[in-house]
Formats: sequence, structure tokens, C-alpha cells
Amino acid sequence: MKTFLRQMGALVRLSFVELWRRNDVFGLLVLALALMVPLSMASPFGASGASRYLDEAALLLIWAFSLFIALGTGSRLFPPEFESRTVYPLLSKPVSRGRVLFGKYLGAVSASWSALAFFYVLYFGSSLLRGGSASSEFFQAVALHFAFVALAVSVSLLGSLLVTPSANLTLSSIALAGMFFFGRRLPEYADAISAPLAWLVRLVYAAGPHAEFFDMRQRLVHGWGAVDAGVFAAVLAYAAAYSCVCLALAAAVLKRRRL
Amino acid sequence: MTTGSSARGLAPHLAAAALGIVVAVSLALAAGRFGDAMPQVATGGDALSVAFGDAKAAISLAMVRKADSYFHGGIDMDCGDAHGHRQGQAHDHEGDHGHDDDHGHVEGDVAPARDGCDPWRWINARVRAPEVHRHLERAEAVELMPWFWAAVKADPHNADAWTTAMYVAERMLKDVDLARRIAGEARAKNPDSLEIACAAACLEYGGGHGDVQAAEALFERVRSIGKAKCGGRLGELNPHDAEEYCRALDYLSKIMADRGDSAGVQRLLDEARSTGIQTPVLDSISRRLP
Repeated sequence: MKTFLRQMGALVRLSFVELWRRNDVFGLLVLALALMVPLSMASPFGASGASRYLDEAALLLIWAFSLFIALGTGSRLFPPEFESRTVYPLLSKPVSRGRVLFGKYLGAVSASWSALAFFYVLYFGSSLLRGGSASSEFFQAVALHFAFVALAVSVSLLGSLLVTPSANLTLSSIALAGMFFFGRRLPEYADAISAPLAWLVRLVYAAGPHAEFFDMRQRLVHGWGAVDAGVFAAVLAYAAAYSCVCLALAAAVLKRRRL
Repeated sequence: MTTGSSARGLAPHLAAAALGIVVAVSLALAAGRFGDAMPQVATGGDALSVAFGDAKAAISLAMVRKADSYFHGGIDMDCGDAHGHRQGQAHDHEGDHGHDDDHGHVEGDVAPARDGCDPWRWINARVRAPEVHRHLERAEAVELMPWFWAAVKADPHNADAWTTAMYVAERMLKDVDLARRIAGEARAKNPDSLEIACAAACLEYGGGHGDVQAAEALFERVRSIGKAKCGGRLGELNPHDAEEYCRALDYLSKIMADRGDSAGVQRLLDEARSTGIQTPVLDSISRRLP
């Protein structure tokens, strides 16, 4: 157990350091400031007091950045190791492939979570400055967003073992962003189109990663209150189950892979 | 990956961004330089007009829809409330038309989605806000302003966005000065719009409690714009303009009736009939005749 924890700790630390060393987060922060500062200084028609549009824009940016970071981090876990052949000395240690995969996944998730926490601290600070306060739906929204990031990293990790890095980034981002924006309406689209394509849409609806489950922006921005504890738990369970399935598939692929 | 390799990885993206900026600036300059030679490019527009063209109108409409969604607490009700509210002004001569916060819907009157045996739908319906009919309270309506502002920035000729913004400022925020500022800007950018001129006149009229003289001058301005548009042949006005024209005549008839000028009201009724449209305004004017 002690060895397991030490191995996991080392792999997590590695992913963590790699994300923060790349300065992606700071680049995104500068981009966010460049977009949000002019928006916050705008006074539409000279009327003051509007703040929901700022919340909405800030939360959308946080979602976009978290997706960018989660997919980037997840997709970079193995391909560089294969390319530079550093995976050989890693696997020559007394550590199984499954354990390497799980450790790297935990590292990528914790690194992405740290970046997400950083963005949410900034958002919460700016919200406090505008007279906002902590609410139960805020903490629920953050928790669901963290769960989404764990799911996105697992999807991207699985993709990185199946297709090329660029294809993985493209397909993962299309799948997650597509489900985020259109996932809820897929049954309606399926009803409106002809049979073969409709079945495909229904298959995507059944098996695709439902990113929209984790989106509580509407409740947060417009003050609709928290979701029921049962629904909240169901969404967390969905994220855990989906991530486990992706990790199990990734472990199977890695195990069969000839190195 | 090291910082050096990260910087090297960024180089193609920076080059692409720089190329994009160069292309955009070149397009903007070319539009100015060769504007006459390129009739498909709107002359006198900014770089945004050149780059997006008709897409700006679509963006503007999307912004108005977003404002409508905000009015319903972020839910897309798609019942055209903002329009319904604003158009209630048409026969609102005496003051508050009484449906700026309630127009017949009751809380929770939207049917909940049927979950059936679809667990994903069940989750979606509960994570998203409940689809109950809710409106922004009066002071909260300021949250709509950024979207109307964005709408008219994207397309300054979106009369619907201008007039709804005026309505929200006047009726919901009770800020007549703000409504006047919006009206002034709207008229400056759309000097030929009957709809905007009529809305600005209604604003001055203020349900009969405002500056009636200023309102009368503005309603007369609507008449002159309308006549200029059709060369005096009112039957050739398009239906939308004809409707606005008759609205202005309706208000003018009210002002004249208050002065006891029955002959003037009769002239306005004849003028309204000459537009050739069937509108309740005709009945409204004729009721003012002795």
C-alpha cells in the first residue's frame, strides 16, 4: 500500500509540475483578462448595475478554458512518452501498466483541478467585489465542474491511446463541446431526421459523454437555486462511472499495446 | 515539455494570428479604397461590417433573443414577450397598459418535460432551471440592457432592439432619461425609420402625461418620413411602415380630440384609410369623432 501511494504520489506530482511549468494557465488568464476587463467597464447605454452578463461570460470562459486544459493534459499523458521512449525506463520499474495509467490520470485530473480552482477563486473574488455572495448552488456548480474535468481527462486519455494526438484533440473537443451545447436536444434532432442517421444520433445520445449534465451556469447566473441532492449525486455517479469505463478501456488498450 | 519547446510550439499559432490580422486589415483598407469598384461590399462600414456582412443582422437578432431569455430567468420561452410588451404601447394613451409584468401566464404553467424511461432526460430536466414562467422584476430589468446594446452594436438598424430597449428603460426601469438617450441614439442612426420615430414620439407622449407638444412634433415627423418614403402615395407604404404610420395618426387624433378639433380627427381618419391597411387603429380614431 505504501509503495502504491508513493508511486501514485510521484506520478501525480509529475503531471502537476508539467501543467504549471507550461504556463498555459497564465496564457489563458491573460486572455480572460483581455476579454473580461473591457466587458466589465462597459456601461450599456449609460445604464449601470447589470452584472449577469459578466457572470455568464466569465463562466463560459472558465468552461472553455477548463475543457482546453483537461483535453490538453489528458492527451499529453502517453504520446510524448512513446515518442521520446521514456516509457521504457518507466515500465522497467516494478510498476504495472495499469498503475502507470491510473497514476498519470490522477496527476492529470489533479493538475486540471488546480487550474480550475485557480479560475474559480478569481471568479468568486470578482463576484464578491460586485456584491455577490457564496451560495449552495455555487458550490454545487463547482463540484459538478470538477467532475466534468475528471470525465474530460478520461475521454482524452482514452483517445490518446487510440488515435493520433491531433485527431484525439479534435474528436474529444467536438464530442464534449457538441454534447455540452446540443446533447439535451439530440432526441428531438433524431425524431426530425430519417432512420439511419436517426439511429446514429440516438447512439451518440445513449453513449456519448453528456457534458451538459454538469452545466449549472443557468441556475448560477439567474439565481434558480441548487439542484436536488439526489440529482446532484446521480450526476457525480455518472461522471465516476463514465470515467471508470474510459479508464478501463484505456487500460485494456495499453495492456495490449506492443511497446 | 520545456518552456522553450512550448514557445516553439506557439510560433505557428502566432504566425497564423498575425497573418489573420494582416488579412483583416487589408480587407478593411481594400473596402475603403476600392469600395466603389466592389458593389458587394457595404461602403462606409467598419472592418466588422466587411468581415461579417449580413451575419451582423443574425448576431443582432440572437442578442435580442438572449435578452428575451434573460427576461425569463435564462429560459428560452420563445413566446415573444418583449415584442408583446412593447407593442402594448400602441393603444396605451392613458398610461400603464398593465401587462409589463404579467401577460396571462401563471407560475409553473409550462408543461414539464416527459422523462419516460430516458434517464438522461430526467437528469437534464432537473439540472437545468425549472421551466416555470418567471419574469425579471422591475429594477432587475437592467440586466437586459447589455444584450440590447450588443444587438444594436452588431446591427444599428435593428429597430426592434432599439424600441424594446426604450420600452424596458421607460416602463420597467422607470428611467425616462435613459429611454430618451436610447431614443436619441436610435433616431440618429436610423433617421428614416418610422418605427423608431414613432416609439420616440410615444416616449415623449408618456401616456398623455409627458411633453405632449414635443410628442406631437415627433408624430408629425413620423408623418413626414412616411410621406417622403412613398412620395405622398400612402397606399404604397409597406405594411409594417403603414402600421407605424397609422399608429402615429392614432396618437395625433387623440391629441386633436383633446383640443376639440373634430375636423382634424376626420382628416386623420381619412389619411389612415388611404394607407389601405386594415388595422384596429381605424376604429380607435373613428371612435374619437363626435
